[in-house]
Amino acid sequence: MTSPRKKLFRLPWRTPRQIRDDVDEELRFHLDMRIAALTSAGLSPDAARQRATHEFGDLDDARRYIGAVDRDIEAAQRRSDFMNDLWHDMGYALRKLRAAPMFTLAAIATLALGIGANTAIFSVVNNVLLKPLPFPHADHLVRIRYTQQGHGDVATPMDLIDNRTRAKNFDGFSIIEGTTANLTRANADAERVQGVRVNANWFALLRIAPLAGRFFTAGDDDAGAPNVAVISEQLWRRDFSADKSVIGKTVRINSMPFTIVGVAPGDRRYPITVELWMIKHWAPNELVDQSRGARWLGMLARVKDGVDIAAADNEVEKISEAMEKQFPEILRERRAHVVTVHEFLVGEIRKPLFIMLGAVTLVLLIACANVANLMLVRATARESEMAVRTALGAGRGRLIRQLMTESVMLSLVGAAVGLAVARLAMHEMLGRAPQNLPFVATASIDGTTLAVTAIVALFTGVIFGVLPAMQVGKHDLATALRAGSRGTRTRPGANGAKRIIVVAEVAVAVTLLTGAGLLLHSFAKLLSVDPGFRADGVLTMKLLLPQSYDSTASQNFARALEQRVRALPGVKSVGLANFIPLDGGSENYAFTIRGHAPVRPSEQPSTEARKVTPDFFATMGMPILRGRAISATDQPGTPQVLVVNQAFVHQFFPTADPIGKSIALGWGGIPGGDEREIVGVVGDVHSFGLEDAPEPTVYAPIAQRYDHTISIVVRTAGPPATVATPLRSLVRDLDHELPVYSVQTMEERVSGSVGRQRFYASLIAIFAAVALLLSAVGLYGVIAYAVSQRTHELGVRVALGATSDRISRMVIGEGLLLTAVGIVLGLFASLFAGRVVSSLLFGVGALDPMTIGGVVLVLAGVAMFASWLPARRAARVDPLIAMRGD
Amino acid sequence: MAASPMDLLQGTLDVLVLRTLAWGTMHGYAVSRWIHQRTDGVLEIEDAPLYKSLHRLERAGYVSAEWGLSENNRRARYYSLTPAGRRQFAAEESAWRRYAEAVSKVLEPT
Repeated sequence: MTSPRKKLFRLPWRTPRQIRDDVDEELRFHLDMRIAALTSAGLSPDAARQRATHEFGDLDDARRYIGAVDRDIEAAQRRSDFMNDLWHDMGYALRKLRAAPMFTLAAIATLALGIGANTAIFSVVNNVLLKPLPFPHADHLVRIRYTQQGHGDVATPMDLIDNRTRAKNFDGFSIIEGTTANLTRANADAERVQGVRVNANWFALLRIAPLAGRFFTAGDDDAGAPNVAVISEQLWRRDFSADKSVIGKTVRINSMPFTIVGVAPGDRRYPITVELWMIKHWAPNELVDQSRGARWLGMLARVKDGVDIAAADNEVEKISEAMEKQFPEILRERRAHVVTVHEFLVGEIRKPLFIMLGAVTLVLLIACANVANLMLVRATARESEMAVRTALGAGRGRLIRQLMTESVMLSLVGAAVGLAVARLAMHEMLGRAPQNLPFVATASIDGTTLAVTAIVALFTGVIFGVLPAMQVGKHDLATALRAGSRGTRTRPGANGAKRIIVVAEVAVAVTLLTGAGLLLHSFAKLLSVDPGFRADGVLTMKLLLPQSYDSTASQNFARALEQRVRALPGVKSVGLANFIPLDGGSENYAFTIRGHAPVRPSEQPSTEARKVTPDFFATMGMPILRGRAISATDQPGTPQVLVVNQAFVHQFFPTADPIGKSIALGWGGIPGGDEREIVGVVGDVHSFGLEDAPEPTVYAPIAQRYDHTISIVVRTAGPPATVATPLRSLVRDLDHELPVYSVQTMEERVSGSVGRQRFYASLIAIFAAVALLLSAVGLYGVIAYAVSQRTHELGVRVALGATSDRISRMVIGEGLLLTAVGIVLGLFASLFAGRVVSSLLFGVGALDPMTIGGVVLVLAGVAMFASWLPARRAARVDPLIAMRGD
Repeated sequence: MAASPMDLLQGTLDVLVLRTLAWGTMHGYAVSRWIHQRTDGVLEIEDAPLYKSLHRLERAGYVSAEWGLSENNRRARYYSLTPAGRRQFAAEESAWRRYAEAVSKVLEPT
């Protein structure tokens, strides 16, 4: 648009007023010239003016038009000047950065660490929290949580009926029941897959289309309808080679024939790890008012388009209240709430993720501080360069802009390298994320992440660049020029800025280290919890008997299994149970204590219940504290017995001796409950997690109470994993349709149960280590620079008799003083950091003195080392050389 | 042939201005005089559209302007062709010649 002709110098920018004046002057010149010409040709001045004006035409219109055109020209000129300056500044910056490769490399490496960490964590946050679920109108897809007296979030079969008949704000409801499924195909080993039972409207609620075949339709729900199943794309590709002819084929699931009717797209599954969907068929005793106390189902619903979630929440709450009025005994204080499926999935990891994001932001701030310090040191060395440019006419604003261009370029390059760092870090770390953190392992660097990284890089450049840039031109021009190429003497101002930056850096590092220390200490506490069993040398695995096994068949299977496993070489002892500690399984029943006054159903005590074989306790290493263990003589025909744990005794028999007492357990629909005598007390185990207190639990003999879920625990002489293969083939020999699954040593289960905590603690420990390293480097840099600036002074001191000890004490003292101030400030910030992480802590207070003491010691030690290196150099100053050099 | 004022199209005026400046750097008044003399008053061009044209050409990058001193020592705005303006003039000139030839061919008695 503008003139491509190169100007030798730039025209000053013009204001709109100046433009108007210029236009007027130009036109006046024209008229004056014309009038003069006409006058000299003989016209009277008046006639000449009239003629000239006439010849000119519409003067006002021309003035307006020209003014507008000139303002356009001016604006284009400013744009082009800006771009030219930027281009020029970038070229200049590039030359300057290349001329100082050590500085440039140090700055880029520091920034790449800081920005890379942010990119990595942000891409996880983006994937987990920001991206919507892959369903249309996913924000209206909700789970309904039922809580009673503060715990539980599960529904009963009748809740489905109540909601379907009463709710107006919903498109539909479906229950969901988790299940494991033994899948058998022709000519293949049985396989255990994760499945769910749902209502026929499940996929309609999700609003997705099948990849092949069809989803469930209304008729599939009917009692007596043929068994149909939908499989996931993953299962389809793995087991059926993505062959479309699988639609309509029959497979055996839990030893029953099922027809595969459809394939669900792999990236739009719900629940997100499920591979098999089946229809929930109701047992006759399930959809009746008597089942209102039986809570085990999840509930999915879709809120009508255009209806507020709050209104939907209000409605289910109202329905729940109405039902409580109708069945006050069972449903006392029961509450219902809707929560979006997204929140249901990621709600628990929002806070840890934000803490991680906070941690990497602190790392980035420390990186900024370090680079700012580097730039300040460089700014001192460049003072004469700046002075020369000022003398040649560059304004202070222009120089600041030049320096800011340099820092933003640095941070952009840092961000580019940081992206590579982030990719590498994500590759290393995300694979280690525990399976139960949804959407973490699949995080990747996408467009959003790139855009955010670019913005972060720009801000970073401004943050670390602005303080050094502002130092420009603060000093006397003549002094700077006279000092020549060696740079000027230290100015107190610049060194003050460096010190402030180091103090801030130490303070931020203290904050981050405290947060990391608290999480690590808490993790160590968690690991030191006695689980109540001996985890070493134990292998565990699970299997699920199909419904075709009745009571006798199950008992026979269990007996045969136990005998055969015991006979395997390397097996010291074996036990069976339906659920074992830390496997996530739970059975909870209400009970009444014989001899106690009857209570209302909603006030009945409840307990966890397990079914075990006689050798289970010994194999797990759970001590019998009183009475006896389950015995081989406890058979269907003998008295019904129970062993209870200590937590049970503490809660229900705090004063009396529990041995010989009887309780009636409400399992199996036996009228009045299944009455059993307590014969022994066993030690507590942490069934649900090391951080959870042991629940009251009763153990019944498997021989008296069979179960379709069987867990095998084996104590081995050698490494436990070695018996896995013989165990598998042993089970296959017993029933080839029974896949074993969840084959893990007990130690793996313990370790897996703290997977989240380990993941969080190790991530934040990495960030804290980076922060510590960066601030040590920062401190070293400032002290070392101060020493090099004071060489002359130190020389004088040595000449006047200061010993090298005294000199190094002085230098170290300065470093420690800066650190001490930083630590004190950081401790104040740590009060806040402690409160932020407190909800993630176990057994450690937010003001844990051990952690805080450790952090102070570590930082003081690092500071000591970082100052000792320059101090050693200072102590070796030769007074002659030092003073001559000035 | 009667000398009658003609309505000049914007584009036509632009070509004339470019042609004039092809002679060399001059201020607006000089451009105006030069065109008057060359056209022997056949084209009665007002000065207002002429100045509009000069600034329009400057915005288009065909002309650059600088303040300088006139022959009678006054501040005057001097215009000169830029390389882009020179190219533009060459293109427009040949287009004009073809156009004029075509018109005169039509008007020639056969």
